[in-house]
Amino acid sequence: MKHLKPLNHKARLLDEAADTDGMDEVVAMQSVVGCTATTDPGWEVDTFGGVAGLCQPMEADLYGCADPCWWPAQVPDVMVNYPDWDGQSPSAGQDWRKLDAVFPESDS
Amino acid sequence: MTIKTGLISSLAATVLLACHLSAQAAGSAEAIMTASCSGCHKQDDNGTWSRISEQRKTPEGWHMTLVRMEEIHGASIVDPAGGEPGAAMRTLVRHLADTQGLTPAESAPWRYVLERELNTIEEHDTELFASMCARCHSGARVGLQRRSEEEWRHLVHFHLGQFPSAEYSLMGRDRDWLGIALNEMVPWLASELPLDNDAWTQWQAQPKQPFAGRWRVAGHMPGKGLFAGDMVVTDGSDRDYDVEFNGEFENGEPLSGAGKALVYSGHEWRASLTLDGEAYQQVLMAEPGSAQLHGRMFRRDNVEWGLRMQAARAGGEARIMAMQPSYIRAGAEQRLLLVGAGLDLEADIGLGAGLEVLGVTERSADGMVLQVRAAADAAEGGRTVSVGEAGAEGMLTIYRSLDRVTVEPAYAVARVGGNGGSQPVVEAMFDAIGFSNGPDGEPGTEDDLRVGPLSAKWSVAPFNAQAAADEDVRFAGAMDAASGVFTPGAAGPNPERKYQTNNAGNLKVLATVEHEGALLNAEGQLIVTVQRWNNPPIR
Repeated sequence: MKHLKPLNHKARLLDEAADTDGMDEVVAMQSVVGCTATTDPGWEVDTFGGVAGLCQPMEADLYGCADPCWWPAQVPDVMVNYPDWDGQSPSAGQDWRKLDAVFPESDS
Repeated sequence: MTIKTGLISSLAATVLLACHLSAQAAGSAEAIMTASCSGCHKQDDNGTWSRISEQRKTPEGWHMTLVRMEEIHGASIVDPAGGEPGAAMRTLVRHLADTQGLTPAESAPWRYVLERELNTIEEHDTELFASMCARCHSGARVGLQRRSEEEWRHLVHFHLGQFPSAEYSLMGRDRDWLGIALNEMVPWLASELPLDNDAWTQWQAQPKQPFAGRWRVAGHMPGKGLFAGDMVVTDGSDRDYDVEFNGEFENGEPLSGAGKALVYSGHEWRASLTLDGEAYQQVLMAEPGSAQLHGRMFRRDNVEWGLRMQAARAGGEARIMAMQPSYIRAGAEQRLLLVGAGLDLEADIGLGAGLEVLGVTERSADGMVLQVRAAADAAEGGRTVSVGEAGAEGMLTIYRSLDRVTVEPAYAVARVGGNGGSQPVVEAMFDAIGFSNGPDGEPGTEDDLRVGPLSAKWSVAPFNAQAAADEDVRFAGAMDAASGVFTPGAAGPNPERKYQTNNAGNLKVLATVEHEGALLNAEGQLIVTVQRWNNPPIR
């Protein structure tokens, strides 16, 4: 990392986290029960244990999460299990209030 | 399962979730299984069902599976005797939990997820389990299942088919996910979480306790403190129980109402109550061989609000259940409330070395009020409190000084909500816990003494420079200075924020305790994040 210069905000955050104990902190934080530990970029917390690296606002990429089954335990996946979840809400930014919860997500 | 064509209704599931404690079906569970499951599952001559008989789960686990069969696979849970589908579902959940459930020991490590303790931090045995099984959902969701090796293998394939992102999201795309899942995880799961019907058979053969009668209840709710009361249980009309619940918090705030309860697997107590107009659910476990229930009662629609509680049969074995406050300073005189069950009215009261009972009032089998003095030279530490035969180790703590305070939980997650959306805010509530540094005077060492919850003044601050720059304190919500309850902001994009981002935030939780003229400060962390739309009973 010493020879690489971060070019944008997110890269700078990553650089800072790597230089501190931020990464260790993240591991503990992401173990809160039921929260996802996949932080690309993260649903509850971002790679750095904060929220600034999440999609801003979340609604801007909500269907980018639902369509490819990205956070299936948090966001109903349209790919396989809940194909009609967002059928009445073509724009998440405009129509997010119409989105209902599903119960339950799958187990087996 | 019988395949339905057309739109699959989740009505049965909704009914079960909302009031899963009303009448059972007209037909037998076996008849419902044959009518509902035999379209896809085969029953052999021994009565064994393909797939189904190779698994054991909690009532919530079976409930989720059956609803998934309806929602995803188009099954209909039907009662051939003509009963309504919701009752057929309830009967089937009960039958499966009673005949293929988990023993108390099997569920014990994972009960926090059943109890909706949302801020529990899971610590897994291996990194492999954390990354392969617990990175999308809780590890408890896995731990609360028992399967044959073949069934664990089926579960891997199920995941790949239903949730293909398992292979290409973080911690999936960096490895041979399927190879590891099949060749490493399946044998490990079969070894660690085996079907092992012997343990279950032995548990089923043990005599089960009856539940009708009066129970004493003691508990603690963050933001409200000690609760003490009664729960009167009577036999219902359909293998269920009627429940009356009455009591109050330490500030005098009452909590009372009534509802219904069912007991699954001989020890899994589930009740739905309406208390002061609010729907609550109880998820309790009956301790084997003991007239005790313990677990959590939470608001059905705001599960973060919960009472960690125990119940002991009144008139049964004498028990000491709680004291308020649970600590006294050396040299001080203090009024203490003792909550118990079946206490001997004539028995001696013992508080341990250095403590003297100056007076007793309001004494009954359910408890008493004590006026107590702690000697100035009393040693720090926990004391066993006794009333005759009943004793409770560590029920009362003597401390000499309060040296530091911690925030509990040290890390919490709250969620934005409301604002016209379907998901309510998820609040967070905190306690300030006092500690003595112990004889060595050093904080963080083994002799530190946990004193107990203290009254504090609460606030929030930016967790770091990023949070300050984004004005997270302004937007993420509000902390109640007196109670330590944080209420998140409204859901949805916020035009006032940069990028119109949500009212998320990364906050320090600050507690200040005033103690003998000095201020003790403590700090925790609160993540205020976005809502989720999948909220099954086991997350």
